[in-house]
Amino acid sequence: MTAPQIAAAGRAVPSRLVRARDVLAFEWTKLRSVRSNYWTLLIAAVVTLGVTAIVAQSIASAPARPPGGPMNPLSSSFLGYGEYTVLPVTVLSVLTFTSEYASGLIRTTFTAVPRRGAVLAAKAAVTGAAALTAGELLAFACFFLTQAILSAHHRGLALSHPGALRAVLAVGLVLTACAVVGVGAGAVTRHTAGAIAAAVTVIYLLAVLCLVLPYPWNVRLGRFTLPFAAYQLVTLHPQPGLLSPGLSMLVLISWPAAALLAAILVITRRDA
Amino acid sequence: MSLPPGSAVAICVLAVAVVFAAWCLVDLARAGQVRHLPKWAWAVVICVSVPWGGLAYLIFGKARPAARMPRQAPAAGEAGVAAGGPLPAGRVPVSPLVIEVDELTKRFGPVTAVDALSFTVRPGHVTGFLGPNGAGKTTTMRVILGLDAPTSGRALVGGRRYQEIIRPLHVAGSLLDATAVHGGRTAWFHLLSIAQSNGIGRRRVMQVLEAAGLAAVAGRRVGEFSLGMKQRLGIAAALLADPAVLIFDEPVNGLDAAGVRWIRQLLKSMAAEGRTVMVSSHLMSEIALTADHLIIIGRGRLLADTPTDRFVSGTHQDVLVRSPRAGELAGLLTARGAAVRPEGDGGLAVTGLDAPAIGDLAAGHGIAVHELVPRHASLEQAYLDLTGASTAYRAGTSALEGTASS
Repeated sequence: MTAPQIAAAGRAVPSRLVRARDVLAFEWTKLRSVRSNYWTLLIAAVVTLGVTAIVAQSIASAPARPPGGPMNPLSSSFLGYGEYTVLPVTVLSVLTFTSEYASGLIRTTFTAVPRRGAVLAAKAAVTGAAALTAGELLAFACFFLTQAILSAHHRGLALSHPGALRAVLAVGLVLTACAVVGVGAGAVTRHTAGAIAAAVTVIYLLAVLCLVLPYPWNVRLGRFTLPFAAYQLVTLHPQPGLLSPGLSMLVLISWPAAALLAAILVITRRDA
Repeated sequence: MSLPPGSAVAICVLAVAVVFAAWCLVDLARAGQVRHLPKWAWAVVICVSVPWGGLAYLIFGKARPAARMPRQAPAAGEAGVAAGGPLPAGRVPVSPLVIEVDELTKRFGPVTAVDALSFTVRPGHVTGFLGPNGAGKTTTMRVILGLDAPTSGRALVGGRRYQEIIRPLHVAGSLLDATAVHGGRTAWFHLLSIAQSNGIGRRRVMQVLEAAGLAAVAGRRVGEFSLGMKQRLGIAAALLADPAVLIFDEPVNGLDAAGVRWIRQLLKSMAAEGRTVMVSSHLMSEIALTADHLIIIGRGRLLADTPTDRFVSGTHQDVLVRSPRAGELAGLLTARGAAVRPEGDGGLAVTGLDAPAIGDLAAGHGIAVHELVPRHASLEQAYLDLTGASTAYRAGTSALEGTASS
């Protein structure tokens, strides 16, 4: 990446910003021009909202003081989102790289933009931005849907409730983090199945693994996994044993950063 | 008009600021120091939306005119190549460029795909890059295009490594594998995305689609395309930026007769305009009519680097002789140092003596000669003779015969 760059003969060197815009436009056009992406997002949104409604209905009809403490009306808004939005969006993010490797299009991409770091950054930025937009929209939709159902039973929260808006905004960021993890996993493994396995491991399974560790190691390690960090950001009452919401935010951005770091180390050294 | 340098740094700072602000807010809220929504809700909105908005403005708003300017008003030396005119315009590109491959070696584990290969592809010619399957043609082209890193040696396009060229499609257009496309994307979006990556406008995308005969199917998904249409699409992508160098790997595979003729004429006209055209093939018959220079490799090594018309005369040739006293004549010829190989139908294939010498010799001994034909090997035959020893994958004839008889 330190090699000197020389413009095509007889042309002014376009500024870095122009080149960055070019690569972003390249990746954005590729992302928006595949129809299955829209279908996947639409189905994910419909399923998420459906599951959210079911969860809200079951909370609303539960006894006033259920055994095991009251359900959290905020974090339970996102039970459906945590799986039926995060998983499809992660798969879409994985496909941004693995579909190109599978078809060989990656060679066209790297011939058009030989700076592979720029390709990776643009893919992560475009996919992350799309995930952020979709994630925030769905997060607000889930929140308002859940609260509408709960408020019929006088258990709902307003968005103005302390911590509510922060939680809803954080939910969108969680999706962004998972999408970028997916992009990195796709770049590292090159194969769809392997990349999905890697991304799902980082996003879900590490936390499950930590749960089966003996106390106190389950909490000590588990708090650094994405689901626990996400929980701390989304809940009204953060668990004292886990990381503070601020540190959880740091965990949330560290996983995608680690995925991108692994990706950049691999794709700049490997034959395409 | 370009943005001030350091704007990239500013963007990084903004991004870090977003994360930091979010972190602070989250911790503040947790500590319970902020009780009322409006205070930090405003802060969240400002901290999240303003930098993102600014970023979007910087990337998509301000930079566009700067990118368009040189194309709308081409400078003297620029000739508006990026914008392009009608495709076969007969213009000479900005500056002719050569492809130099210098002592290139590429190993994949124990396999040496390319072995100390050196050659130069010059502008103004169609250069055929020939070799049997597995000879290392595609690997060489990948190294030239910066996709594979060479084990040693180097490959330069216009004196530079491909990876070092900014907006490289303006220098070299290439087609390695026409089927390497996303089947769910339309031809238009496939080309548009590639065009955008190198700052090429939409009008030019339409032009190359028309030139490739794909304008009518621009809105169809590439997955529905035949192999021939994909080849045309790949060639259209290579021509997007009107580059001075063209590199095609097996471009006529899967094309119908009209498509093959289109490619041949295209390659010739591109070379006639002073461009550097490198076309690989494993079949001499595909390339013989088009290429005026041949680079032939086998097992990763250079076998021949020669103009096409000199390739044939420089290789295998013999003289066919028919005579009623063939046995006697053969003895005389061998005595003169010629090599004589009897052909199945009673003729003699003579190498080492030319036709007049054979005729004189026969006349001197009173032997009648019924036929005396100097024979040049065909391009195909010459190519097979040259690469015969270096073919990596060959059907085992004896093994096949054994199976058939058992």
